[in-house]
Parts: sequence; C-alpha cells; structure tokens
Amino acid sequence: MEYLRTLRNNNVIYSGTRNNFNQQTTSDFSIRFVFSGNERYNIGKRQLSIHTDSFLILNKGTHYTSTVESAIPVQSFGISFDDKFLQDFKNGWQLKDDTLLNLNTYPFINRYEHEFDETIYPFKGDLFFNVNHLKHHVDRGLQDELLINEYLHHCLINYFQIFNEEIFQKAQRLNFLSKSTKIEILRRLNLAKEYLYSNYNTNISLDELAEYACLSVTHLLRTFRQAFHQTPHQFLVQIRLQRAKDLLKNTDYPVNEIVNMVGFDCPSSFIRLFKDRFQTTPLKYRQSF
Amino acid sequence: MKIKYIPIFTDNVESQVKFFIDNLGFEVCDKKNLLTSRECVIMQTTSPDIFMLIAKDYGYGNRRCSIVVSTDDCLNDYHHLKLAGIQFYNEPQYTPTGLRAEFADPSGNRCLLIEERNYNDLT
Repeated sequence: MEYLRTLRNNNVIYSGTRNNFNQQTTSDFSIRFVFSGNERYNIGKRQLSIHTDSFLILNKGTHYTSTVESAIPVQSFGISFDDKFLQDFKNGWQLKDDTLLNLNTYPFINRYEHEFDETIYPFKGDLFFNVNHLKHHVDRGLQDELLINEYLHHCLINYFQIFNEEIFQKAQRLNFLSKSTKIEILRRLNLAKEYLYSNYNTNISLDELAEYACLSVTHLLRTFRQAFHQTPHQFLVQIRLQRAKDLLKNTDYPVNEIVNMVGFDCPSSFIRLFKDRFQTTPLKYRQSF
Repeated sequence: MKIKYIPIFTDNVESQVKFFIDNLGFEVCDKKNLLTSRECVIMQTTSPDIFMLIAKDYGYGNRRCSIVVSTDDCLNDYHHLKLAGIQFYNEPQYTPTGLRAEFADPSGNRCLLIEERNYNDLT
C-alpha cells in the first residue's frame, strides 16, 4: 500500500513498500516504523537501523539518508507531526491533572527532550496497538480526519510514555549525584544501545561498542547495567532473539539460516536461549502459525 | 453452565432498545416473559451466545447495572459514539489490561467500552 496523506492540519502519514531506495530529505518531527524488513537511516555519522520491533524519532530539520538493504520488501510507515499540532499536544497533555501529579518527570522531558529523542526506541505497548489501528484504517482509505487526528494524538501520548520510561526512568537509576552527569552518561549509553540495535547481526566487541559510546569499557559495563538492569551482551541477545522470532513468524528461512542472519554462531545455543526466553522451541513457535 | 441473558431495567424500553441498535449494533430477536411475568425485549448482541433482556423498571429499587462492551478498537468506537452524541465520563484511558472509556446509556447504566490488549505477546 503506497500513499502520502497530508491532513488539513499538515500532519502527514506515509506508507510505502520499498525494495531499494535512497533518499535525502529534511522533515518535521516524525516517527518512522517498518512493518517488514529493515530500513537504515544515516544521520550525520550515525547509522541507525530500524526493524519491526523498533522505531526511530527524527526531529524537524534533520538531514538523513534512508537506505533499504533487505532481502524482503520493506514496508515503511511514517508519521510527521505539524509543529502546531505537536505544541498543542504538549501544552494540553502536560497540564492534565494526572500529569501534574508527576511534576518531577516533565521538567526533565521539556529540558532534555531534544538531546535524546532522535534515536531508536522499542516499538511496544500501546504505541504498537494504536499505530497498527491507524495504519489499518488509513490503508483502507479512511477519510475522517478527526478520527485520524485522534489516533495521532494518542500516538504522541504513547511516544512520550515510552520516552519517559526509556530516558527519564533509566537516568534515575544511575548512581551519580549530579543530574547533568546522569544525563550525559545516559546519552552515551543510548548511543551504545542504538549501536546494538543497528548492528545486532555482526560480531560486536566491547571495545568498539565503548568507543562508539565514548566511554571506557569498564565505565560502559558498570553504567549500562545500572541503567538497563542487564549487560550489553544480554541486551544484544535479547534483540537477536526478538528478531529471530520475527523471522520465524514472517519468513520461510530455515532455522539454521536464521541463526546466522541474526548473528548467533551456534544453532544449539540459539535454541537453548530461545527456549529459555519464550518457553518454546523455534520450530514449535513457527508451527504455531 | 453459561451466561446467556443479561437483564437491563429501564424506564423507557423503546429508547433503550434504539440506543443498543444504533450505537452497539445489537438486534431485536424476540419478546418473551422471561423475568417475573413481565415482557422483555430480547436483543442479540454481537456475541452469538449472549443476549440482553430489556425490561421495564417499575421502580422497585435501584436496578442500575454496569455493562462491559468489548471492542477491538476502542479509539474508533469512542470517536463514532461521541459523534452520535453519547456522553462519555472520561476520555479513553490506558490501563494494564488495555484501553477503556466509560459512558452512560439512556437509563443511566454505566457502559464500559474496553479494548483488551495482550502486551505480553510483544515481548
């Protein structure tokens, strides 16, 4: 399904299937998803790859190149929010009673949002459901812009909830007294995280990960564990298993091939880890569909 | 054993039936004396095995009840019900089980519109 819908309030919804595509552009604040395959974004020196389990935030005015390097056609989906819509949302949402109860949270978001938001986040929770509903309706030609904007409004609520969980709550866990140190360390840890998200299927050494994150190996290991309650290696295994699960569900690749595609060396350890995490074997999981 | 009928007592059977037809997609399928000799309108819900019994409330006490209506897209139904003039107690709210919004039917029964979401499937 290929379309570019510009609403009367200048919010834009894009959907398209790409095979091999390269584009450079600037955009409004936007959220990018893929519903199959993966898409690589180059922003400056950073290379960020999004899959079906993650999404990317792009700020207004960001220059980027997007490339599709996937064996299967990539189904991209993107939402760009008009400045006024975004500002109205922020003003309205942040002044709600329930939000005011969490006052400590939101000054952080206001102040640090732009430092953090342009990265990869997990595509999960209510955002997953609402974006799928939105896509379902717009794919079928929904014309009711009030309803579309209702979905967009909720997508923003869901995004800021994820932002709060992934940034604010993680920064709180870091054992530093100074708030600015917490912020700076978390910013670097997020670099490490996006590197793992984007290069999960390669052999990543701790040295190269630490170098990308501008931290020493010891510092990276200690602070990563504090913030995310797992080691970088555990986080990497989690991404690999999630993506293997996706490939098992949506493709016909043999299990052995999937093992290599997601970066595992050995099928038997993959099967063991898969079973530990999902309480079923890869083959049984595939057969359940 | 299984639940088959859910009784709703109302001052105005006709408007209650119309409300269910227009807004929740139920259909009238019969009229019977199922409840203490009074005639009830039997309405087929969107679930094939569950029926609503709409009966006249003669004021013997507070008969108001809560109805939980399941949906697969709460925002969509919320939007269309609002356009139809239904008053909601609140905007859709996120809970650990999913998305919900609550409104009143013409007899003052509280109707909870709920989209259950299985967040565990995403991990």
